[in-house]
Amino acid sequence: MDTKPILEVKDVVAGYGRMTILNGTTFSVPKGSITTVIGPNGAGKSTVFKTIFGMLAARTGTVTFDGRDVTNWTPRKLLEAGICYVPQGRNIFPELSVRTNIQLGAIAAGKNITDMPDRIERGLDRFPALRRKANQQAGTLSGGEQKQLEVVRGLLLDPRLILIDEPSIGLSPMMVTETFAILTELRGKGVSTLMIEQNARSALEMSDYGIVLELGQTRIFDTAQNVLNDPRVAQLFLGGTTN
Amino acid sequence: MANLVNLIITGLATGAIYALVAIGFTLLWQTSQTINFAQGDFVMLPAFFMLPMLHAGVPYWLAILIGVILSMLILGYGYKKLLVDPIRKHGVLPLAIAGMALSIFMQEGVKNYTAEAHVFPALIPNLDFHIFGAVVSAQSIAVVVVALAVVIALQWLLNKTLVGHQMQATAQNSTVARLLGIPVERMVLYTFLINGALVAIASALVSPLIFAKFSTGNIMGMAAFTAAIVGGFNQVRGAIAGGLLLGVVNNIGSAYISAQYRDAIPLLLLILVILFRPQGLMGRAEERTV
Ligand SMILES: Nc1ncnc2c1ncn2[C@@H]1O[C@H](COP(=O)(O)OP(=O)(O)OP(=O)(O)O)[C@@H](O)[C@H]1O
Ligand SMILES: [Mg+2]
Repeated sequence: MDTKPILEVKDVVAGYGRMTILNGTTFSVPKGSITTVIGPNGAGKSTVFKTIFGMLAARTGTVTFDGRDVTNWTPRKLLEAGICYVPQGRNIFPELSVRTNIQLGAIAAGKNITDMPDRIERGLDRFPALRRKANQQAGTLSGGEQKQLEVVRGLLLDPRLILIDEPSIGLSPMMVTETFAILTELRGKGVSTLMIEQNARSALEMSDYGIVLELGQTRIFDTAQNVLNDPRVAQLFLGGTTN
Repeated sequence: MANLVNLIITGLATGAIYALVAIGFTLLWQTSQTINFAQGDFVMLPAFFMLPMLHAGVPYWLAILIGVILSMLILGYGYKKLLVDPIRKHGVLPLAIAGMALSIFMQEGVKNYTAEAHVFPALIPNLDFHIFGAVVSAQSIAVVVVALAVVIALQWLLNKTLVGHQMQATAQNSTVARLLGIPVERMVLYTFLINGALVAIASALVSPLIFAKFSTGNIMGMAAFTAAIVGGFNQVRGAIAGGLLLGVVNNIGSAYISAQYRDAIPLLLLILVILFRPQGLMGRAEERTV
């Protein structure tokens, strides 16, 4: 595996209003890896993603994507550059059809991609529920199906880096397995993933690297295996101690 | 019975005009949480863009067209840039109050210029004709047809085009729209331009029926507000249903119950809906997302 980073976050300071949440956050994502971020509630995990994706300004520090400085780029430019972001929670347009919701994932590409209709249909085929309900309002989907919609929509532009925030929330165990399988499949094609997960054990088991974030700071950055075996991690996040 | 048919048709005609105004009102709310308290006066003003042109001999359709364009510029673009954008960031309430101030300013402004009621030419000559023994005014039919055409065109734009989908996406979840690279600010601007066009068309349709006068905005504003609430507030098709219903109920009520209470009928309808169906006729109970 090429361990040159696809993404580097360096000394990033960001927050909401006068409140600072990220105070010099630094980590990187090796190219072609699945890297999982774990950490307690309120550690600033989602805030890191929002800052990388231009929804929240980095006051200082840099974000580098594939060697390019992309600090404070707009979402649209980041999408064009090859990053996709699937946020925490529900992020759909409930009164538009499932198909239209997915189509809107292609806005950033403009007219550059000519096989978009095919891509949309192939995306729908990834999940039987989406195919079946393609013409229904997206608000009628179950929570898990909505997440599947978001994943399909995010993959529409063939991203090289996927930022995915707690994909397993509200998903059945089978859906979680399916989603993780897609990320693993994409890794086979060289796509990198940075994932936040509460479900730390199963996420780390399918990951290459793990990051522990606390109070907006990287506490541990190591191979997923080592993070899994770290006694501090076991105690805090994996429910019970090793040894 | 014959009388009832006519009452329904003239009611549908005014109702269709209310619907246009209510749709614009609803669109502004959906995309930018703007409650335009001057919406009625927005209907009053374009007639005064068109009248001088008509008096100067500009052909009817051209005068209307120029009036619509002026309205899109002034009541659409200008309203957004000069009033809404600077105030919106301070919250919904200051914006609502600014809207009330704008309403007073517009009424007083026009009153200074002319306080009289002006005759406004109708779309077509006012002929009556007979269907199934009922007398029907051709003008009412023409108003319904024009309003319907506008609504169909708007629905086509919103539901069948990529720009329309982006506008709806902006209305339903602007954060996610932004994440997908949808130019949210431009979509919001489009809804203001559409509202500018809708109020101007409504102005051209309603002014022949009630004259062009500085104070017509009061009735139109109340009607649009009621139609929007009755229809569910956050739905275009609700605004249509609300407008039509209000027009018909108003007409029948004032004919059969009392013309004196005509202006109270929208309020009554409003109260009934708020009591028994607070989400509106078409609205769904607000869904909370995380
Ligand atoms: N929009 C916001 N405005 C103000 N404060 C916020 C906002 N979003 C998050 N915060 C605060 O920032 C801190 C970090 O939040 P963040 O969502 O990044 O945590 P997280 O690590 O993702 O937690 P979780 O595991 O619960 O998702 C929290 O204290 C939170 O209250
Ligand atoms: Mg979070």
